[in-house]
Amino acid sequence: MEVNGQLALTVLMGVFLIAVAAWLARVEDWRSYTPLAGGGTVGGTAEQYVSEEKPSGVIRWLTTVDHKDIGMLYGAYALIAFAVGGLMVVLMRIELADPSMTLISNTFYNSLLTSHGITMLFLFGTPIIAAFSNYFIPLLIGADDMAFPRINAIAFWLLPPAALLIWAGFFPIPDVIPAQTAWTMYTPLSAGVGSGNQVNAGVDLMLLGLHLSGVSATMGAINFIATIFTERDEKVSWANLDIFSWTILTQSGLILFAFPLLGSAIAMLLLDRNFGTMFFSVDGGAILWQHLFWFFGHPEVYILVLPPMGIVSLVLPRFAGRRLFGFKFVVYSTLAIGVLSFGVWAHHMFATGIDPRLRASFMAVSLAIAIPSAVKTFNWITTMWNGKIRLTTPMLFCIGFVSNFIIGGVTGVFLASIPVDLVLHDTYYVVGHFHYIVMGAIAFAGFAGLYYWFPIYTGRMYQVTLGKWHFWLSMVGTNLTFFAMILLGYGGMPRRYATYLPQFATLHQVATVGALILLVGQIIFVWNFAQSWLEGREVEDGDPWDLADDDLTTAEWTWFERKLETAVTDGGEDETELATDGGQAVDDADADSADDA
Amino acid sequence: MDEAPGLSDQYRTASPWPVFIALGIPISELGLLFDLFPLAVGGLLLFGGSVVGILKESGYVTSTIRAVTALAVIFLAFGAWLAFTDIALVTRGYAVIAAAILLAVGGVVFELFVREQRQTF
Amino acid sequence: MATKTFDKDTILDLTVNMVPLAIILFFVVAFTFVNPFGFESLTSGLQYTLLIAPFVLLAALTYLSGKAIAGSEKEGTVYAPGQATVPGAKPLHEEEGEEAAELEESPDDDTVEAADETA
Repeated sequence: MEVNGQLALTVLMGVFLIAVAAWLARVEDWRSYTPLAGGGTVGGTAEQYVSEEKPSGVIRWLTTVDHKDIGMLYGAYALIAFAVGGLMVVLMRIELADPSMTLISNTFYNSLLTSHGITMLFLFGTPIIAAFSNYFIPLLIGADDMAFPRINAIAFWLLPPAALLIWAGFFPIPDVIPAQTAWTMYTPLSAGVGSGNQVNAGVDLMLLGLHLSGVSATMGAINFIATIFTERDEKVSWANLDIFSWTILTQSGLILFAFPLLGSAIAMLLLDRNFGTMFFSVDGGAILWQHLFWFFGHPEVYILVLPPMGIVSLVLPRFAGRRLFGFKFVVYSTLAIGVLSFGVWAHHMFATGIDPRLRASFMAVSLAIAIPSAVKTFNWITTMWNGKIRLTTPMLFCIGFVSNFIIGGVTGVFLASIPVDLVLHDTYYVVGHFHYIVMGAIAFAGFAGLYYWFPIYTGRMYQVTLGKWHFWLSMVGTNLTFFAMILLGYGGMPRRYATYLPQFATLHQVATVGALILLVGQIIFVWNFAQSWLEGREVEDGDPWDLADDDLTTAEWTWFERKLETAVTDGGEDETELATDGGQAVDDADADSADDA
Repeated sequence: MDEAPGLSDQYRTASPWPVFIALGIPISELGLLFDLFPLAVGGLLLFGGSVVGILKESGYVTSTIRAVTALAVIFLAFGAWLAFTDIALVTRGYAVIAAAILLAVGGVVFELFVREQRQTF
Repeated sequence: MATKTFDKDTILDLTVNMVPLAIILFFVVAFTFVNPFGFESLTSGLQYTLLIAPFVLLAALTYLSGKAIAGSEKEGTVYAPGQATVPGAKPLHEEEGEEAAELEESPDDDTVEAADETA
């Protein structure tokens, strides 16, 4: 049996490798049609070795190194992960409508809980941000592409295997069960110690997947830092850099310092699990894991929230009819958050019994980091104050972001205080707090971006009414679900449990209703997104939001306008129209340019 | 971009290697972690071959055979470290060594036969 | 040079980061005077390191970024953020308007020419 298994694997692997080699040979042939590709004759300039036209169909998407295509891939990936993670939590919330174990087993609940967290943070949150940054940063800073287009592609393609590994426990693989460690993977549970079932290979697979997603994020971060530092247009000086690029730059810096640490900690955990090392099983091993994990984990919070703040800072002023109030305040406070986020990690560990003097320091920095976030909030509010507000769907999501961020932020400030934290630690209050940020703020900003730039990446307009429905259902659902959680936390309901005391039933049911409202909202979103993409009204104007009226047009829209004018199709859907510049369209361009001058 | 409106859309870029690099890493990791010899060897071959391919394509190396050799030596050292030191992960070490040898052989074969054909294009 | 780069406006912009710095400084002082847990070289050392390290790093980053931004404001044309490459965008400082318009002329012309050529 063992030998047969090995033999089968060998044959499979061999066939796979031969198929890859054969496919590569064909692709290489296709590549060699272009003048300088193939053979040892290259050695030319850095730009010329790549083939200069994209192949068609699936192969285009598999081989692309164009930042816009990779952005689209990231977006598609993130939305699929969002759906998976969302459906997982719907199942959990339905289970929680009733105090006892009814629909799913407690162990399955634990598995869903673990996967929901990891999916939303690493497979939805980070990639949806990467979708926007890949597509728009080069456009915003006037670069031709990312600094390292191929590394960009590698970073994306690491993610699908990462997702498969993280979800592997749910697939019908014999003897593999899903990890039940929660996303924090605290040892000794995650080290597989004791009589639990976490020795299972499902945990190893999840750790490998998480490690891969970390490698991917790090590669992406290096790319963004290099791109923003070196590829800016001459006119885009540091003083002219837009806010979204600033937040991505800061985020990339955070990733660069945080994710390798997660990678190392995971590697250590894997060694502990499989090769008999003792990193986390000696005295103090459990607290070591928590330090390592949260030294990554807290910056991760800001890795996830800074770029959405950038999106809001970019989009919100466009519909308030004026520039962002105190732009430089926002930039400097972004940088401040970036630095301070590395000095607060142990506020997740106030209840572990670490030295009170250390706790006090972490509390002090945690309180200090509230200031830059608050500054941003005031800037957004002041931007809207007396502004010419247009309540378009992206604007609604931005305002929703600000509103939810205030609740999520203020509840967080209380948690930063040691005495309050000791009472509320490990209750639903914490869950409510961070979901206000993650769902109410980060996901909302993601939606704002998706709607705001919808015309650019689809060439069409979404359906406005459905967009509004999506917003209002999301807003109501978010606040219903997560405010109920905050109240549950005040009541003392501990987090992570599949069952609970009957006294908590009402609030849990409220939260479940909220989650179902959210589900309806997201179904509307999916419908709107897909149908509008396929059949929506085509955008013929390069400025669908009339930004030029208030002199608020940014670089990506002028790129879009040029694209429409020169009538070169995106190539995404209509492969037949690999058109050269049409004479007619260019005449228009001339006319417009003349107007501009 | 300003000088050439819309051109960034016309001049496309594509590379077949990133997907396989990204596939090679998890396959070899799985193979090495769970001691699955064929997966380890195959994943490392995929990874190594694709790395050489992408380096060649982007002009960071000019000679395929030298890049393959360098990578094979690195694999060989890593495999030897696994197999013959106190770590004593013998089968995994052999898997890496096998991958190194196969990679080197593949590089030689490519150099002798395939590249020749290509240049006659 | 430093005094020249950091004019009144820039310093006003940087106050946003001086607030968290001040908070940290406040706690450094407070922990020195109110110290219910006693002094022990290792933990107390760590306690102050955890405050002083973020303080120093934040001060350094604020200084460097302020210098970079204020410096490039002095050297080049300043547009509204994200609008530098937008054709027809006007520089923020009116007094620099004339100069900038001169500078702007050429790339715009190139755009038109390039369009002509591709046609």
